[in-house]
Amino acid sequence: MILDLHAHSIKSDDGRAKVQNYCQWIRAKEIAIDGFVLTEHRQFDNESDYSPLAAKHGLTILKGAEVETQYGHVLVFGVNDALQAAFDFTNINLRLEQVIEACHANGAVAVPCHPGRKRVGMAAHLEEFGIPKGVTIVEVYNGGSRGEEDQVAQHMADEQGYLGIGGSDAHIVSHIGRCATEFSGDIRSELELVEALQGRDFKALKIKQED
Amino acid sequence: MSINHLSEVEFGVELPTFQPDTSLANVKKFAIAAGWNSPRFTDHEAARKEGLPGALIPGIMSQGFLSAMIHNWAPGAEIRLVDTIFRAPCVVDERYHINGVVTDIDEESGEVEIDLTVTNDAQETRVFGTAKVMIAN
Amino acid sequence: MPNVHEPIDVESLRDQFLNSVFDEYELVLDAQKLADYAKSCGETAQKYIDTSNPDFQAPPTFGSSLQPKVRYPKGFPTFKGLGMDAGKAVSPSKPMRAGEPITVKTHMHDIYTKTGRSGRMVFFVNRMEFSNANGDTLGAADTSIVIREKPQS
Repeated sequence: MILDLHAHSIKSDDGRAKVQNYCQWIRAKEIAIDGFVLTEHRQFDNESDYSPLAAKHGLTILKGAEVETQYGHVLVFGVNDALQAAFDFTNINLRLEQVIEACHANGAVAVPCHPGRKRVGMAAHLEEFGIPKGVTIVEVYNGGSRGEEDQVAQHMADEQGYLGIGGSDAHIVSHIGRCATEFSGDIRSELELVEALQGRDFKALKIKQED
Repeated sequence: MSINHLSEVEFGVELPTFQPDTSLANVKKFAIAAGWNSPRFTDHEAARKEGLPGALIPGIMSQGFLSAMIHNWAPGAEIRLVDTIFRAPCVVDERYHINGVVTDIDEESGEVEIDLTVTNDAQETRVFGTAKVMIAN
Repeated sequence: MPNVHEPIDVESLRDQFLNSVFDEYELVLDAQKLADYAKSCGETAQKYIDTSNPDFQAPPTFGSSLQPKVRYPKGFPTFKGLGMDAGKAVSPSKPMRAGEPITVKTHMHDIYTKTGRSGRMVFFVNRMEFSNANGDTLGAADTSIVIREKPQS
């Protein structure tokens, strides 16, 4: 099963895509993904229920978050009430160690995203802060990467022995599915996604879009 | 193909891409017309002294390129919104591509939503956004 | 106006400055400049590039280029750092015509922050609203300016 693990909707301040249009786009353009995870900036969307939309289009639509730490941005999968109580998702000065510990304690997984990007990526902060404890997975393919950002991410992952995921980081409809992550089994819920990530049986993909 | 009626618009269709004139002379002409005649946009050396990679194409000019692309595709389209986010600078005298693709069609109101991007030769997105346009039936 | 080097207190700024019109002026658009604006952007539609066209008007995104005479509300602090355009949204509703007086009113619509290890980024969103002599709304334009705060040493 292939999921785009990093997408934003109009719930994010810089997101311009409606979720139903993501679904429509994936089907119309035959994008080779089976679903996506909405990782809104600095928040978890507790309100939206995308299950009818997912059923209509035969897609898996899950929810996560993208939070901000001293090492840059971090995707969080498996968000639940306990995790939301553990730290303030809106805080732009979170400690990565705190996010990772809270995820471990509450059945979630933290994944630094676009780690090769200046300022908001983890690799840029290793010299200043050292290797953070507890990171096991990073996003090695990001659909919004420019220049050598993905190579920097992959190099860091290779050096540190991190596993890699892929996500489009889509903010507009037509960018969904540019990068994704392939899992060996089916994933229908946030819990199953966490188990699959903890199971370490996945690989990052770049997906060529139709011209 | 020029679009004249809403019924001709298809979900997912790409608007004809074009490469805008990003020459210093054209950007200067634009900057004067817009009242944005700042060295940041019209003088590479001065822009570099500000820490920029060179003279920048004003964001409003990128919006103008995107708007022109829409009219080239659908001459009668009435633009109701152009909403752009400037992700990375566009530099004068460099080559860019102005792209659009239809991502939503409201048959009742006649409103069409278009994803907009300005990309470079490496296919990196420098500007992205959306437009809402009305196309008559 | 104080020049601020300390972290920006966003909540305080929101309380003090959001939603009050701080700038208002009238202008009359010049036909040739409008045509030059449109042509340099690659417009081909005659109503935007031909000043003799009976429906000649400003190109739809032109409103984005207008700026308030006063950049910020009275009493608003200035900040250290390079202000950059982070985004613009323009929503024309009726044509802007050359020679027609247009009233431009600006208020601060939003202030918010985002991340950045080299300093927090603070976004200021100004909204300009355009109307003609009849009081008809011609459209609006939002401009987001981002200031990257330097890390505190």
